[in-house]
Amino acid sequence: MRSDLAFALRGVGTAVSGTFALRDVSFELPTGYVMGLIGANGAGKTTTIRCLLGMRPIDTGEIELLGHRLPGPVDLRQDVGVVFDHAHLVGDWRLVQVERTLRPFYERWDGVRYRQLLDEFGLDLRAKVKDLSRGMSMKLMIAVALSHHARLLVFDEPTSGLDPVARDELVGIIGDFLLDEGRSVLFSTHITADLDRIGDYVTLIHDGRIVRTGTKDELLDAYRVVRGGPDDLSGAVGVQLIGVRRTSTGAQALVRTEEADLLGGNVLIEAPTLEEIAVHVGARVPRRSPDPGAESHRDADPHPAAEPHHGAGPDHGAGPDHGASRHEPDSSMSTKGIA
Amino acid sequence: MTAIARMAMLDLRTVAPYSSQGLLIFGAEILLFANKPTVLLPVLVLLFTSTLTANPFNIADKANLETLYAVLPLSRRSVVFGHYAWALACFLATATVGAPLAVLFARAQHVPFDGRTLVTVLTLSWALFALNVAIQFPLLIRLGYSRTNYLASVLPSVVVVGVVYRMHLNVPSVRSWLPLILWVAGAVAIVASAAVTLAVDRKRVRYRPPAHDDRPGRQQSADR
Repeated sequence: MRSDLAFALRGVGTAVSGTFALRDVSFELPTGYVMGLIGANGAGKTTTIRCLLGMRPIDTGEIELLGHRLPGPVDLRQDVGVVFDHAHLVGDWRLVQVERTLRPFYERWDGVRYRQLLDEFGLDLRAKVKDLSRGMSMKLMIAVALSHHARLLVFDEPTSGLDPVARDELVGIIGDFLLDEGRSVLFSTHITADLDRIGDYVTLIHDGRIVRTGTKDELLDAYRVVRGGPDDLSGAVGVQLIGVRRTSTGAQALVRTEEADLLGGNVLIEAPTLEEIAVHVGARVPRRSPDPGAESHRDADPHPAAEPHHGAGPDHGAGPDHGASRHEPDSSMSTKGIA
Repeated sequence: MTAIARMAMLDLRTVAPYSSQGLLIFGAEILLFANKPTVLLPVLVLLFTSTLTANPFNIADKANLETLYAVLPLSRRSVVFGHYAWALACFLATATVGAPLAVLFARAQHVPFDGRTLVTVLTLSWALFALNVAIQFPLLIRLGYSRTNYLASVLPSVVVVGVVYRMHLNVPSVRSWLPLILWVAGAVAIVASAAVTLAVDRKRVRYRPPAHDDRPGRQQSADR
């Protein structure tokens, strides 16, 4: 049990259906940081979060949350704020009733903070939950999550229904939340641009397995996007092409950084964005492209079995990434596959 | 306030926005059976209380409150016992309002309704309530309202009617029994039901997709 971890999943597995399961999911977040959990729809992000929150029993492995091995004490949930991609409140409750309903459950419920947040978000206390737009519902859930002074915030696709302005506001709110060093955030999203500003760590999940987990910079350094003519990416020995996309005029793929130089001089090698990594790793096999002459497939399995990751630990140096006194993530990086 | 009381209160707040409809139904049933004071309370328990106790499950399915229960600082045990506490509170409220009304209606119509009759009516109502909840709640908690809609409402009714018919359970017959037996039997049925519910709830995934979430792909992604 490590008190410096916000949470840790070690070898977690759970069968969701006959065709989908989480397998050997291992990653951890040191206290005081933001982790982005990225992957395509159906990759297992929500299932992972439900396991972390104790909503879904696990078949294998163990989960540590805020210093307690799950199932931990019920009061552990006093310290966890949760925002899912849909509201889980009665539609006919007014926002003032939402507070009256939830306040008795939380020892540190802050009604002033709740009202402040609603005011900041432009939400009327007299409005009914069912009358809120999707974006406003998300803001309400965020206000609830932030009003009981949680130490860990878990967001499951919170920005998927938000416009760019609201997404920017949310990022600012998370930055404010992290002003206290003891607070951490797990942020599941497929809008990777959100992580460019606030992500310290990134975990990439695909088909129920962790592909990579570590600091954001290390994930970006671990891959290269390669582009070339239609035949330039064929026949390279010792190079695994991930999520190859071919059109009549060219081809593009993701490769491991150390393999990029093996591809020859005709290939353009560039640093990827998080989105490009997510897109290539999450590419389905086979998938029709809107372009009749194009195809997209994954040449390399991005998630062969890999050793569990226990490496990431906090380096208590200064590194304000959110306008506050924050720790800089350490440089240890776990490779889960593509090895 | 204990966790169980907080959960029961959450059930109350869940149905609170719909209280006016509930009161209308309650009033209509009272008017309908006002001329039969001795059966008024048992009928209210069968028709109104059973619907009221199941209503939080109906709303929870639509609003995905299973997720709320899972993220609140509440143990599974507190959630289950809280639902049962809510049901008991519903019975107490129905009895508190229905019993005096039955006495009033009896007096107005010069129908004999002494203290022993009142005890008997309360006993019969309790037995019907307990049997209904004991059957209904394990189904509602394990499977949810929308998946057990007919089963959870029809099965208890069939059993209750069957028991009433087979045992000739009416006010005069119950009066001749020891009411204590029915009170104890009802309590045992509810405790046994809660124990069964706890057992079946232990490994349940604490999440159900929203009942009316018809956004494309939601059902699939909800399982991932």
